[in-house]
Amino acid sequence: MIMKLINLIILLFVPFLMMGLIKKTKSFWGGRKGPSIMQPWFDFVRLMKKDFVISNTTSAVFKITPVITFASVIFAGLFVPLASGNAIVNIPVGLIVFAYILGLGKFFALISAMDTGSSFEGMGASREACFTSIVEPAFFMVIGSIMALTGNYTFDALGKILSSAGTYGILIIVFTALVLFIMLLTEGSRVPVDDPATHLELTMIHEVMILDNSGSDLALLTWANGIKMLLISSLIAYMVIPSNVSDFVGVLLYLGVIALLSVIIGTVESSMARIRMSHVFEFVFIMSSLALVVLSLVMARMFGG
Amino acid sequence: MNSYFIGIIILLLSGFIAASFSKNFKTIVLTILSAIGSVFCLIPACNVLLGKDILVKTFDFNELFGAVNFVIDPLAAFFIIVICVMSFVSVVYSNGYLKPYLDSKNINSHLVFLPMLIASMLAVVTCQNALMFLICWEIMSLSSFFLVIFESNKKEVVKAGIKYLVFMHVSVLFIIMAFALLSIKAGSFDFAVFKDVLAHNKSLANIVFLLAFVGFGTKSGFVPFHNWLPDAHPAAPSHVSAIMSGVMIKTGFYGILRGIDLIGMPSKTIAFVVLTIAGISALYGILYAITQHDLKRFLAYSSIENVGVIGMGIGVGMLGMAYHNPAVALIGLAGGIFHILNHSIFKELMFLTAGSVYLKTHTRDIEIMGGLAKVMPITAILFLIGAVAICGLPPFNGFISEFLIYFGMFKGLSINNFEAVIVMLFAISALAFVGTMAILCFTKAFSIVFLGLPRSEKIAQVKEDCERIMLVPMGFLATLILLIGIFPQKILLKINKIVFSIIPSTSMNVWSGCSEIFMTILTIALVVGCFAAFVLVLVVLKLRLTKSKIQMHETWGCGYDRANNHMQYTASSYASPLLSMLKPLFKKVFDVEKPRKLFPHSAHFSLQFEDIEEAYVINPLLKIDEWFLSKFESLQSGNIQSYIKYGLIFLLIVIIGSLFIG
Repeated sequence: MIMKLINLIILLFVPFLMMGLIKKTKSFWGGRKGPSIMQPWFDFVRLMKKDFVISNTTSAVFKITPVITFASVIFAGLFVPLASGNAIVNIPVGLIVFAYILGLGKFFALISAMDTGSSFEGMGASREACFTSIVEPAFFMVIGSIMALTGNYTFDALGKILSSAGTYGILIIVFTALVLFIMLLTEGSRVPVDDPATHLELTMIHEVMILDNSGSDLALLTWANGIKMLLISSLIAYMVIPSNVSDFVGVLLYLGVIALLSVIIGTVESSMARIRMSHVFEFVFIMSSLALVVLSLVMARMFGG
Repeated sequence: MNSYFIGIIILLLSGFIAASFSKNFKTIVLTILSAIGSVFCLIPACNVLLGKDILVKTFDFNELFGAVNFVIDPLAAFFIIVICVMSFVSVVYSNGYLKPYLDSKNINSHLVFLPMLIASMLAVVTCQNALMFLICWEIMSLSSFFLVIFESNKKEVVKAGIKYLVFMHVSVLFIIMAFALLSIKAGSFDFAVFKDVLAHNKSLANIVFLLAFVGFGTKSGFVPFHNWLPDAHPAAPSHVSAIMSGVMIKTGFYGILRGIDLIGMPSKTIAFVVLTIAGISALYGILYAITQHDLKRFLAYSSIENVGVIGMGIGVGMLGMAYHNPAVALIGLAGGIFHILNHSIFKELMFLTAGSVYLKTHTRDIEIMGGLAKVMPITAILFLIGAVAICGLPPFNGFISEFLIYFGMFKGLSINNFEAVIVMLFAISALAFVGTMAILCFTKAFSIVFLGLPRSEKIAQVKEDCERIMLVPMGFLATLILLIGIFPQKILLKINKIVFSIIPSTSMNVWSGCSEIFMTILTIALVVGCFAAFVLVLVVLKLRLTKSKIQMHETWGCGYDRANNHMQYTASSYASPLLSMLKPLFKKVFDVEKPRKLFPHSAHFSLQFEDIEEAYVINPLLKIDEWFLSKFESLQSGNIQSYIKYGLIFLLIVIIGSLFIG
């Protein structure tokens, strides 16, 4: 029970640290001192206090979307194993509930962007919808392959790769981690898919969808995006952290992996530019090919000699 | 059981009675009578599902058909409930929808054929005699044909109607072949006898099932037999499209499920074929739905997608049966049947809301719509509920059935067989792809039709929402969607009962795995319920707390403050990234006039997507057909003497032929 509570706290507040650490890494590579690691939290508090400006064009959809998106990531978080121990709600095929609850958030994010009648936001929405449709099948295929391999249909399967596949397991973990990392960059709207720091609306995806949101709406959406990144990172963390450690060590290891992933994301962002929009597809499609690699590895392990 | 026939007879007569009233009372009389008829039919069906014995009524037609059994078993009872409730909702809606058409010359025939379609569907799902079944099936096809061509003064409506008629008759040909094969072997037309024969003859079972699958699959709209759907639905009035898409195409699934019931254990090949065709249908349907800008055509393609999803559930179930894995069989079939119910609810809701939009805007082209949420708020909310449900998102009913289908697939991974695991993994991936594309598709439809600013003058003139008599049935459907989404347990229990009646229990221990899915669904229902409540609380809190803090302003145009409604994203531009990625799957037809001269003059651009199957398979086939048949044109001389000559020649051939065969 205490562990579940700790998980919930991590789910809600670690995203701020994660975003702060990414910013810090980028400043480090840029040769700057950079803002404090708590800056995203301060921004959040500041935004929560502000008033809104809402477009005349919008309907009620625009007003309710931020809370729906936020609620959806929180509930999706209940199905993902976070620091040490199982997911808060651990049921078979929790993967589906996870993906579909996130899908509801995305649905509203898309129609809210279209609600403003702005061509920029429409552009962002259309790209976001398109990339999602490439990401999800690959994600499902990877997780499905691992579930077939381990014979376990909860997210726990991710932690059992090594024990059920031996040396193959290391390869499977590496490729799965790569798939999840690309998913993290795409869904979290990071470089090279999207650039959260740019001010050129034409090239943005997620950021341009929330162009008209302000005040606490913007705060909630940023928070939700952070939580979403944490959830996908947690899946990677769960694969690599051994399951036989005590809770305390588990939490420490988990935070370590999340910190490492944040540093990697920051480094990726500092070392490369955004890919040209027409080439983003190719980047995201890497996920699909890697998913097929995972599939064939699993098949080789299960039915090969 | 007698009350069932009373119900059907009331339905059959109700159209004639309604047609004889004066024009202001026609639809009301029809509504009342069909309500009475539906209740008479519902009572025995509910009794069977609630645990009473299977009802049987035998008519003896001696020489003609032999004994004709009408049976209400759990499977039939399920379909009866779907047919009665969903059709009745549409009939209520038609009170409002038909108002502008009451002076139309076709109104009386429309009122006669509408209840006739319902009655014939009710007869189809209970009849257990092959010949009688075909007769009812034919009445169903014909009456729906007359409903489709309601606006027969429009050329494209008649064309769509004829296409529908041709497709239905090709499909019935396959069903006749299947039944003919069976009745020759069995020496009877009775389904129970068929079942005995099929139990001992597996190769016959394969052939018969595949033939029947093509026949019934055409009715359901599986790719590649789907072409009638996207033409017939836009042509028909909205409440008819709702009945056709929500209910009538489900009779095809009744046929397929009855087929599974009759053949007992399906072979692996059949299961793979069904699963593959269903997967292709789902992908094909949703891809083309994204390309469409005609509101009802787009919904028709989305029906093809959902038919595919249902088929995938059934295919997974059949694979489970073929590999003797009861849990997979149970979950897959239950998911498929659940999705039949769910799809009939939300697709009906979507077609009815589309009808309301059409009635107010007089157009189905979504490219010129926009901003309707402000003037038609209730319709907008109902459409949104339908759209979220159809994407399979929680907390609505579509999620539960899609979850079951996924669950069946994941369970299928435990079948220790290379092909089965690979197929399941690709099926999971395909369903995920379909799901995300559905999100793209329905966010497009909802946001282009209802959000933003009106994209044309015509739409800006819409002032009010539709009448209450149309809103009430739609509201009823939306409530059902939410209730089933949050409390699916009771319905799941009933559906399990239907599945048990299909799966041959002697060869499988179907109960294993039953408790597990039930526990999982319970947990999910609980979480989804909490989620819905949480969202509701947050939304109310947010709207309350932030009321005083809002300032209104124009949409941020990135520094440009003359943005107008024509600069909004359109449906084509919204779908364009995905469609350009999947370019080879479509045939694009451009119509472009570029601005070439020095000074501005008129220019336009339009883009249509043609169905690739129609363009490259059906049309060439029709060309060949036309060429071949044109060789015989000279036979039709129009002069009576030569026709008598043909008659004589025919008689001669018959006489000589019978002498030889004699």
